[in-house]
Amino acid sequence: MIISTQNLKRSFQVGSEKVEALKGINLSVEKSEFLSIMGPSGSGKTTLMNIIGCLDTPTEGTYHLNNNLVNDLSDDELARIRNKEIGFVFQSFHLLAKNSALNNVMLPLKYAGVREDNAITMAKNVLDKVGLTNRINHSPSELSGGQQQRVAIARALVNKPSIIFADEPTGNLDSQTGDDVMNLFKELNEQGQTIILITHEEDIARQSKRIINIKDGLIESDYKI
Amino acid sequence: MLFKESIISALSSIRSNIVRSFLTTLAIIIGTAAVIAVIGLGSSANKALDEQIDDFGPRTLVVSPGQNRRGAVTKGFIPLDIKDAYALEKNEEHNWMISPYISRNRQVKFNNANINQRIRGNLPIHFKVRGYDVEYGRIFNDDENFGRKRVVVLGAAVPKELKTSPQNILDKEVLIAGTGYKVIGILEEEGNTGWQSPDEELYVPLLTGAQRLFGTKNVDSINIGVEKDANVDEIMMSIERILRAQHDIGPGADNDFNINDYSQFSDLRRQATGIFTALIAGIAGISLVVGGIGVMNIMLVSVTERTREIGLRKALGATHKAIMSQFIVEAILLCVIGGCIGVFLGTSVLYLLASFQDWPFAMPFSAIVGSITFSAMVGLFFGIWPARKAAKLDPAISLRYE
Repeated sequence: MIISTQNLKRSFQVGSEKVEALKGINLSVEKSEFLSIMGPSGSGKTTLMNIIGCLDTPTEGTYHLNNNLVNDLSDDELARIRNKEIGFVFQSFHLLAKNSALNNVMLPLKYAGVREDNAITMAKNVLDKVGLTNRINHSPSELSGGQQQRVAIARALVNKPSIIFADEPTGNLDSQTGDDVMNLFKELNEQGQTIILITHEEDIARQSKRIINIKDGLIESDYKI
Repeated sequence: MLFKESIISALSSIRSNIVRSFLTTLAIIIGTAAVIAVIGLGSSANKALDEQIDDFGPRTLVVSPGQNRRGAVTKGFIPLDIKDAYALEKNEEHNWMISPYISRNRQVKFNNANINQRIRGNLPIHFKVRGYDVEYGRIFNDDENFGRKRVVVLGAAVPKELKTSPQNILDKEVLIAGTGYKVIGILEEEGNTGWQSPDEELYVPLLTGAQRLFGTKNVDSINIGVEKDANVDEIMMSIERILRAQHDIGPGADNDFNINDYSQFSDLRRQATGIFTALIAGIAGISLVVGGIGVMNIMLVSVTERTREIGLRKALGATHKAIMSQFIVEAILLCVIGGCIGVFLGTSVLYLLASFQDWPFAMPFSAIVGSITFSAMVGLFFGIWPARKAAKLDPAISLRYE
């Protein structure tokens, strides 16, 4: 089991009011799963992703990642887990504008303390894998949206993470390039990569193997396709 | 590799906001330039002083008349006599050059020119003590001194003041206080120093001057040239002993003469320059600190602007330390670049100033290293707060910051 949460709660203090974004989530994810978390905005799906992505910590409940409890870890320990175990893909790509594709992909390796020559080789390999062999020295502004998202996926893959979180990865792409990106995810999943997709689009979610619907901070439905 | 990443990221951030970066560092640039120029000015002044002292030739002690005191009662002014000078000269303990002189202003005439000029009666050795050389003719000798001959050596500027040229006045007679003196030599130009103008004076043999021109046997003072590495304390003690015997001063009584070592004055002047330099450099240093506040301000803006980037870096695994170092390196780099430009600017200003004013140019390497180090410290100090602010950002929130 890669992810296991018990009665996960997260509340925020908004002014004098306490808002409960997650009201008790029990979720298990096995290795090599490809699942989608769906829900309307305000449902708590982003908060859930932040917590299982180790960007945030729960106010109540427990969260085990690879059978390790991550609730009470310090900020730097969480940073190390994000670096080693988790790869993020965002809707707006989040690439560093002044850096080449290669440098963008190397960034997680720099924070992991990998030697520069090894890092270059590793980054080139993943860029190869996402089909950008000829674009490694291009800066984001010289790449199309689909290519930028591939760089972001390469960056998510480079440290060989346990899980990839993709937050609306096709949201900024036209349907054709969106399909290309989804096909890339499917391909990676077939190679054994665990992928968690966060989306509000039904047809995107349908391309994964399991759909979890979140509503008002609780799991409304959880089914395999 | 992380440090390299910090440098690359900082350089790229500075480059992408080049105008803002320049304006931010302007105070650092001006501050460093001011500090560097002032310190350079101080050391140039000291170097000029050194050169002047070197020009002075060997070290010179000056014995001047003093007052005779018994307890608190002053008994009047006791002059130094030519005999005192000869008594000193007879002493063979030290390798010194005794050069007494008398100087007064007298009318000097040549053809139609009539000027009032300083006349100095001195021994031939005076020229050696002072390091003065003749350009035309020769200086007078001891025989001419003992013979009270009417001969005169002119300072370099005197012929012009007498409306003639050195060639035209050499071997001619000038009238000094109505009596004819033969011009036997003209000195090279020596340049005027603080308390002397050798180019403006006329030099006659001491005894000629004492008897024929000034009518006195009392000398103004006795210059004593000693070697550069001579033991000055010992020499001063010898002078004291000889003159006390000469003036018949009993044990316990005060000296009726003064002995001064003028190189002490240059030490004092050097100290004063040092204090003044430190003071102004300190004031200029304040603008560096003010510049640091500007850097802090811009770094805070930069942190806010780059919230999403910081969120991303954190999501990719940047630790607290990694983010801190990125922003501190950026602040230090901003200040160090400003410092380097400032050093260049300050050095150039000093160089221009020195070449216009004909000063020697001196820029201590330690000042350059020191001011760049200080800029780096300013960057470090004022970079810490913005960097902490960046490192403390919540990754989940900052990733979605608009």
